Amino acid sequence: MTDKKTAVKNKSSQSGIKKESLDEIISRYAGKPGGLLGILEEAQELNRHKYLKRGQLEYIACKTGIPLSRIYNIITFYAFFNLKPQGEHSIIVCRGTACHTRGSKNLLDFLINLFGFKENDFSRDGKLSLTTKDNKFTIKTVACFGQCALAPVVEIDGNIYGRMTTEKIRKVIKKISHRGKK
Amino acid sequence: MQEKKVPLRIDGKDYECDAGITILDACVKAGIHIPTLCYLEGLSQEAACSICLVEVKGAKTLLRSCVTPVGKGMEIFTNTPRVRNARRLNLELLLAGHPKDCLVCDRNESCELRKLAFDMGIRDIRFPKTQESELPSDNTSVSLSRDPNKCILCGRCVSVCSAVQSVKAIDFSGRGKASKVTTFFDQGLANSVCVNCGQCLLVCPTGAITERSSIARVWEALADPRKFVVVEVAPAVRAAMGEEFGMPAGTLVTAKIAQALRKLGFDKVFDTQFSADLTIMEEGHELIQRIKNNGKLPLITSCSPGWIKFAEHFYPEILGNISSCKSPQQMFGAVAKTYYARKYNIDPRNMVVVSVMPCTAKKFEALRPEMMSAFDYWKDELGLAEPEAFYDVDYVLTTREAARLIKEGGIDFLNLEGEDFDEPLGISTGAAVIFGSTGGVMEAALRTAYEVLTGRQLEKLDFMNLRGLDGIKTAEVDIDGLKLKVAVANSLGKARPLLEEVKRGSSPYVFIEIMTCPGGCIGGAGQPIPTDEETRTKRMEAIYREDKNKTLRKSHENPAVQALYKEFLGAPLSEKSHHLLHTSYKKKETVF
Repeated sequence: MTDKKTAVKNKSSQSGIKKESLDEIISRYAGKPGGLLGILEEAQELNRHKYLKRGQLEYIACKTGIPLSRIYNIITFYAFFNLKPQGEHSIIVCRGTACHTRGSKNLLDFLINLFGFKENDFSRDGKLSLTTKDNKFTIKTVACFGQCALAPVVEIDGNIYGRMTTEKIRKVIKKISHRGKK
Repeated sequence: MQEKKVPLRIDGKDYECDAGITILDACVKAGIHIPTLCYLEGLSQEAACSICLVEVKGAKTLLRSCVTPVGKGMEIFTNTPRVRNARRLNLELLLAGHPKDCLVCDRNESCELRKLAFDMGIRDIRFPKTQESELPSDNTSVSLSRDPNKCILCGRCVSVCSAVQSVKAIDFSGRGKASKVTTFFDQGLANSVCVNCGQCLLVCPTGAITERSSIARVWEALADPRKFVVVEVAPAVRAAMGEEFGMPAGTLVTAKIAQALRKLGFDKVFDTQFSADLTIMEEGHELIQRIKNNGKLPLITSCSPGWIKFAEHFYPEILGNISSCKSPQQMFGAVAKTYYARKYNIDPRNMVVVSVMPCTAKKFEALRPEMMSAFDYWKDELGLAEPEAFYDVDYVLTTREAARLIKEGGIDFLNLEGEDFDEPLGISTGAAVIFGSTGGVMEAALRTAYEVLTGRQLEKLDFMNLRGLDGIKTAEVDIDGLKLKVAVANSLGKARPLLEEVKRGSSPYVFIEIMTCPGGCIGGAGQPIPTDEETRTKRMEAIYREDKNKTLRKSHENPAVQALYKEFLGAPLSEKSHHLLHTSYKKKETVF
């Protein structure tokens, strides 16, 4: 009975995915070692909110014969893949050792407060990824950007900002919000 | 070809070993024990647990012996203070995050982690718990339960699911501290392609994977005076149950089991072997009919519920090749709640059928919605409404659970003299015994098919080339000039090539037996732990010994089965047989 339920769910979650685009992507990577990573990367780009939909993954599994469990392994391993819709702007706080000693925890807490996230919105064990309700901002963490000399480092919409302070973050956010686009 | 040999020195003694093998293999061959929690010979080489460390002269760090190949002139030390301390430290780190509820853990006596901690002299855990919060258990499956909190991420379950069974329902997810073994989107085993075979449970070094227990429900039924509780015991159980009581693997405890279950208060103690004989009557005739009427061939056996679910997920194209016969467990339930209930005037609603199985997938099979034939049979006559629906088999206990039931019941199993099963559903032949081993169903079917087809007695009953632990076994049987090619596979990974042939329409066989677990039911996930090559071999020998000792060794000679046909079913493949003993399969829509 459970299986029947899953089947129905699968069907509905598969609707609304761009099958033709996926087919095209999959065919380009066919037979290439490590091709799955490329497929997933491009599949994520197909969605406006830059995340992988369950139906997409099921479709990729069917077409490539790669088990779902393996696909899930890969997308949960790499910080690059998102399973939830991402905000228009991304703010990534480095939580590496150097940045931590220079107060990156404060920056993260500042952002969490600024956007009004609650402690139970996330678990500290897993990947941190929080998106505002209006889909404007996503806050994430990363283990290290490799820019330790500039600690603490925050990446906002692809730009690295060194020696970051809460004041500077506030300014950058203000700027990009007004621009509306990155 | 002569393997190249390399000289090396282990713990100050000189050895010569094959080039290319690992240090661990070399040590095992030299009789030196290296502890490990993730390594499994020929299967799992994850280098995940870091317990098998050894010191090699000239190497900067300690090396994991399970993945380091031997080198010429290597000088290896397995028992230095540095090695012992490092192993201990790594084990302590594993224990830091592990629950300390060993006293009440399912794997209490068979846990490798607990044993190793004791053997390595760890008496105190220095480190605080690494995992901040409890992770939820996966209890979606009716067969298996996964508790990620007890998992040490050794990867054995992932390896066995992938390499042995080719099911790949589980894999690692996350990274670092957030790593765990799970299904796609954590949706649970029941919502995955998991076939409930439970081989993951058998290789798990801790209590992270366990069966969903029915012990409490069985005690409840036994205590209820209104209930007529019967039990059926699968063939493979009798060759393994003794191990749960400290007897050596391969001890036959058939009569002790019957007596113990009777002492526990079961109203009747019956034998799944009775319905195994019945299965042969139905399946043998199905085979003959398909050969005679140009039906779909090869016919593939249907006794192993893991294989059935596997086919529904991965080989829906060939479901028509699978015998429509229910498994012996299910045939038993259907016959008990119809034929037996009628004959002895027992209200089927008050009858409880408990089965003792070497299997975890049987728990799933018993709850398949189509397994309510007895209810359908009685519905009109007793005016039963749908909410009163009952399954043919109510509770499935694994061999391990049944042993626990016996222990909880305070029965001195070792000193039981032994008793027979009850009549009539406890009568069986040698052909039914060998269902417990890979190749057994095939052999049993051939014994009967030969005699039915030729009308003559089969001289040589033992089909030796269908026996043994090989993954795929084939034979050609000559039945009066009719040459039948048959094949036997054990483990789903080994079955795949045979199934691909069937799918392509190029299978040379007329009859294929598929058992989900390596070795067949004797290696099922309900069996005592450890279940490894050695125990499987010994249990298999016991099964064939039991067959040899039976007076009757062909299913069609079973007098109780003959009576069942005469009094109730009519003939094999009759309409009544079809309603009660046969089933159908459906493609499962889940994505793999």
